[in-house]
Amino acid sequence: MIQHHPPHGGIAHHPDDELLLAYVGGAADEAVGLIVATHMAYCPACRLRAGRLEAIGGSLLEDLSPAPLAAGALDAALARLDQVVPFERPRRSASRDGTPEVLRSYIGGDLSTVRWRQMGPRLSYAPLFRRGAVSARLLRGTPGADSGAHSHRGLEYTVVLQGGFTDATGNYGPGDLQVMEDGMRHNVVADPGEDCINLAVTTDRLKFDSLLQRIAAPLFGF
Amino acid sequence: MAPEALEMNALLGRVAVNRDRAAFALLFSHFAPRIKAYLLRLGAPAAVAEDLAQEALLNLWRKAHLFDPAKASAATWLFTIARNLRIDAIRREKRPELDPEDFMPETGPAADEGLALADDEARLRLALKELPADQIQVVELSFFADKPHSQIAAELGIPLGTVKSRLRLAMARLKRALGEVE
Repeated sequence: MIQHHPPHGGIAHHPDDELLLAYVGGAADEAVGLIVATHMAYCPACRLRAGRLEAIGGSLLEDLSPAPLAAGALDAALARLDQVVPFERPRRSASRDGTPEVLRSYIGGDLSTVRWRQMGPRLSYAPLFRRGAVSARLLRGTPGADSGAHSHRGLEYTVVLQGGFTDATGNYGPGDLQVMEDGMRHNVVADPGEDCINLAVTTDRLKFDSLLQRIAAPLFGF
Repeated sequence: MAPEALEMNALLGRVAVNRDRAAFALLFSHFAPRIKAYLLRLGAPAAVAEDLAQEALLNLWRKAHLFDPAKASAATWLFTIARNLRIDAIRREKRPELDPEDFMPETGPAADEGLALADDEARLRLALKELPADQIQVVELSFFADKPHSQIAAELGIPLGTVKSRLRLAMARLKRALGEVE
């Protein structure tokens, strides 16, 4: 069962202002946007922060010097109003296991329906999408599973969806967001209890310490 | 909120409830040229900026019933519409958006939090105007440059650490203006 409502204050690791601003301002790409939006599905505090950053965008918009539109633009818009169909939110079946809707649209269903690909006795994954060197995927480890020590060429963003993991930087549970920067090295171990499932986005390939993993990783698209 | 912002919110309400074309025309005259300016700042060609500004206002007509003045001002709401249109049309990417389904009743912002948000906007706007020039520059670029801060730093010819610290100082000032304790 996915823990979708962590106890109040249960989320310890949030996006910093820079990352949240990249999402709110629109500079973040789709994969990083998915990371932030998924975190926000778990985190009311960051929804409030994002609302305030959006208000900065509103203020900046309000204070821009207007760029006049072509003559007749307003009339053209008025002439189109009758053809505009009022927006209705698409109807969707509710999640059965509390998977955030923003993520369900990428998985194509609930987390419990994901078809996992095994990449070792304790680790499995499911690719979501790739844009150039940027990959978004789900990772799953059984309790005690060990990622192997690796470092990063680009950035690695992780949001925990179920269970938890621990590395040298701390302990991460549902909704927590971790950013590993270029060159940072860590070794992730899944916490005891239920399987740990993460949403992970990498902006470049990972670099594993062990020779076997160095050979195997590209086969799995890492 | 500033009287003008309240007026814009009221006009948007008239569009939502009465499909009021005169109110739409006033909103169009106010916001379409600003949205065009926003898109030009982000490097859109003039013809594209013109079309998308038009499109943004048609989206206002299409979605006016979703506007909630307790959560944001008309300007903020239109900013989000213009931002998403640009990502969709120019970058040809989807923007992962929180779904209302994701606002679980027990975790969603409380109604009074929403009200506070609308009040915050006026204070934020004043505080923004008082930021030192080097800080407002990095805040603006977060909204008007479609690129990461590392690239912004390279283009300004200053170290990334300086961009980050200016941003941090700016955010701290804005938080203080909202009465938040660091």
